[in-house]
Amino acid sequence: MSKIGVFVCHCGENISATVDCESVANTASQIEGVAFATDYKYMCSEPGQMRIKDAIREKGLDGVVVAACSPRMHEPTFRKTCAEAGLNPFLCEMSNIREHCSWVHEKSGETTDKAISLVRMLVEKVKRNKPLNPIKVPITKKALVIGGGIAGIQAALDIAGAGQKVILVERDPSIGGHMSQLSETFPTLDCSQCILTPRMVDIAQHPNITLYAYAELEKLEGFIGNFKATIRLKAKSVDHKTCTGCGACMTKCPSKKIPSEFNEGLGMRTAIYTPFPQAVPNKPIIDRVNCRYYTTGKCKVCEKICPTGAIQFDREDEFITEDIGAVVLATGFNVLKPDFFPEYGYGKYADVITGLQFERLASASGPTMGVIRRPSDGKIPQKVVFIACAGSRDPAKGIPYCSKICCMYTAKHAMLYQHKVHEGESYVFYMDIRAGGKNYEEFVRRAIEEDGAHYIRGRVARIYEKDGKMVVKGVDTLLGAQQVEIEADMVVLATAGVANGGAEDLAQKMHVSYDPYKFFAEAHPKLKPVETNTAGIYLCGACQAPKDIPDTVSMASGAAAKVIGLFSNAELTREPTIAVVNRIATHDVSTCVGCFLCETACPYQAIEHEEIKNRNGEVIKTVARVNPGLCQGCGTCVSFCRSKSIDIQGFSNEQMFAEVMSLVAEY
Amino acid sequence: MRELQDTVKALFDKGEIDLFIGYEKGTRTPRPFFVHKAEDAENLIFDAACSGNLAVYLTRKDLTGGKKTGISASYYALKSIAQLFDENQLKAENLRIFGVSEEGSVQFFDSVAAIKQHLSATPPPAKPDEDELVGKINAMTASERWKFWSDELSKCFKCYACRAACPMCYCTKCIVEVNRPQWIQPWASTLSNMEWQINRVMHLAGRCSDCGSCGTACPLGIPVHLLTHKMSETVKEHFGVSETKENVLSTFKPDDKENFIH
Repeated sequence: MSKIGVFVCHCGENISATVDCESVANTASQIEGVAFATDYKYMCSEPGQMRIKDAIREKGLDGVVVAACSPRMHEPTFRKTCAEAGLNPFLCEMSNIREHCSWVHEKSGETTDKAISLVRMLVEKVKRNKPLNPIKVPITKKALVIGGGIAGIQAALDIAGAGQKVILVERDPSIGGHMSQLSETFPTLDCSQCILTPRMVDIAQHPNITLYAYAELEKLEGFIGNFKATIRLKAKSVDHKTCTGCGACMTKCPSKKIPSEFNEGLGMRTAIYTPFPQAVPNKPIIDRVNCRYYTTGKCKVCEKICPTGAIQFDREDEFITEDIGAVVLATGFNVLKPDFFPEYGYGKYADVITGLQFERLASASGPTMGVIRRPSDGKIPQKVVFIACAGSRDPAKGIPYCSKICCMYTAKHAMLYQHKVHEGESYVFYMDIRAGGKNYEEFVRRAIEEDGAHYIRGRVARIYEKDGKMVVKGVDTLLGAQQVEIEADMVVLATAGVANGGAEDLAQKMHVSYDPYKFFAEAHPKLKPVETNTAGIYLCGACQAPKDIPDTVSMASGAAAKVIGLFSNAELTREPTIAVVNRIATHDVSTCVGCFLCETACPYQAIEHEEIKNRNGEVIKTVARVNPGLCQGCGTCVSFCRSKSIDIQGFSNEQMFAEVMSLVAEY
Repeated sequence: MRELQDTVKALFDKGEIDLFIGYEKGTRTPRPFFVHKAEDAENLIFDAACSGNLAVYLTRKDLTGGKKTGISASYYALKSIAQLFDENQLKAENLRIFGVSEEGSVQFFDSVAAIKQHLSATPPPAKPDEDELVGKINAMTASERWKFWSDELSKCFKCYACRAACPMCYCTKCIVEVNRPQWIQPWASTLSNMEWQINRVMHLAGRCSDCGSCGTACPLGIPVHLLTHKMSETVKEHFGVSETKENVLSTFKPDDKENFIH
């Protein structure tokens, strides 16, 4: 026979104003198995908790039901109270008679009856509670940061700064990401490289950070605190240990006409190259697709010229595995190559470029040394049209979302252009101006009012070439949809921010969910913005959605804080409310038949295969086992198990059934 | 027929199988026949009338445990075998699976993939009687349907022949035997019989081969196979047919439809 104690809280007047708490306690005391029931004004207060402790000790209670508020807030409080009185904390449960009853009903006998029913359900559950112990999982204190843009750089530096080891994996030959391509940054117009490159150098020099550039994540196994990452180190063809980064190879390489990715195709690079002069690591790699030796079998000029003999043509991809405790995804975004805008003529007309290309034109380190020259003939354009929302907010083009950064960078582009070409005229076609952010609206106003950018609210229908000019035809909706035609020298498209190439593959490798646009999904849009739905994997920056540098950096620090928080514990303590597969003696009659439908149903990959062996070591059968580190206790497997061989500790089928039946029995 | 008998004999002679599950001539329809030695293969038959789902025997440990087994499988048995493989219940190395091609010749399947390919290329056998009855039930109003099934299921005395005949009911402990909690009342009454059938059908959702063996097995002639048939049609309509190793109902996908949540 159970000895349950029921403690009904008034919550000041929050509950007692509509529920007769004394009557609830009296009725509860009559329930079979209830040894003690009482009510009190504030059960969570010190005297309230003392009542619970005293009752546990004096009456020898073997279960406690606190009828009060939501367990979200105070379940830990009352479980701790019980533990202090020597009762296993998981024998204490809360019945929510505030949010579920007193707050949502008028004062009446029925409201009190409902509170009694809620208490009755929990009493039936607690009768079947079993003592549980928190699960301890060891933690490997080393973080893996994937992506070396500003998001990954910030996250890596923050984690390393807290004294933890970090492995930073970057797909390209250098870290830096899109931020390294930018000329100046809104809203302060400070030079992007000037603020970024010191941090890139910090990455290279930090004793806690191991940087793997030109590498990709191959495989991720395991679970929070205990991941095993396999990293592919792509063949660089240059031994970075002996290479001094002198650059002689790059000056002599005969393949010089390769469009530079860093300069968005506006400049050329060699086949052996570093993406840009401030690259980290600042040592070249060979692009095998374009290298003469790899394509024709003859050349090896770089090998001859290299003073340290660092060129190694026969190097192959290497794989390394690392034990990892947490992962930060910071793979960033890309801009849509606006090929699907036949009406804007991108790709057809050299002088229709993307915003990112404009950044390179405006950059002091860019192909034009910061002079705005149009790609077709290198002339300085006297009239430039900027088109915002090129792709974004256009459901017809499949991108209904706002790319968030374009309003600001378009204003910046117009401003930079006006600063560099004083006589020039700039026109911005926009849908709305979205300048939410500190000093953002002021920045846009400055572009319009001080720098004289002409803002036209309307969309561009078509761009075509006439006598070396780009004729932009659009409408001005503020002038009653009046047709506008501008003969421009250059057109800049603020193309939509899209998920980075390979995002879907990576998400599937890591079992992270993603949205229809392949942006990674956060665990909760408001309250868990840097977590993914897989414990121990965090995300930051534009891999989650397009965002600007300040947002990216704050998010990266947020993700880093999560990792540091995780690593601040020697072990991971988890609630034991997880699924378990029954193992009744003898083994061969344990009821799991090993159909593993639970494995396909589990969103967290927590189901493992366990072989049951006889004394001779022969496998009798293979059954499911739950990895306690991965299981989130969602119960999906429980509902799928036909033979009910899997159950959630603390929320068992038997307990849920008893709760429901206690209500059915009343009616 | 001769072809199958010779093949089975040869398999026994070569020691490739210890048991062959097939059909022999029955009183009205062919019945299951278990060949334990080569000479018994003489009695094997295999034709269009051999429609019972022999796959049910493959998971019976007392029969096939530790034995290398051959089987002549009807269209539906092949479907069940493919599903059993997907649910990790069969081991390919212990099995020799034979089907019959449209021309009547014996066809050997060397892999699950071959079975699946054969199934996707073969239309399911026609079921005119079932279609007629389903049409009738579909035409009923909800209350008529309730009365129909109440009447039918009032006859059930829970012999569980429907379960015994089903290749997918291989659990060592069925939900009806779970008593903590007692999900399904153990006695026979219209309501508890319905509880059983509803559970049975839900447990077969996305797994049922629609062979109809459950209905054939019912000693009282309750058309319980129409419940699974209707369920199979519903699953197909909402989830399509899964070609890969994915159970339509149990496979978690981040982009699963959630349009049923209101």
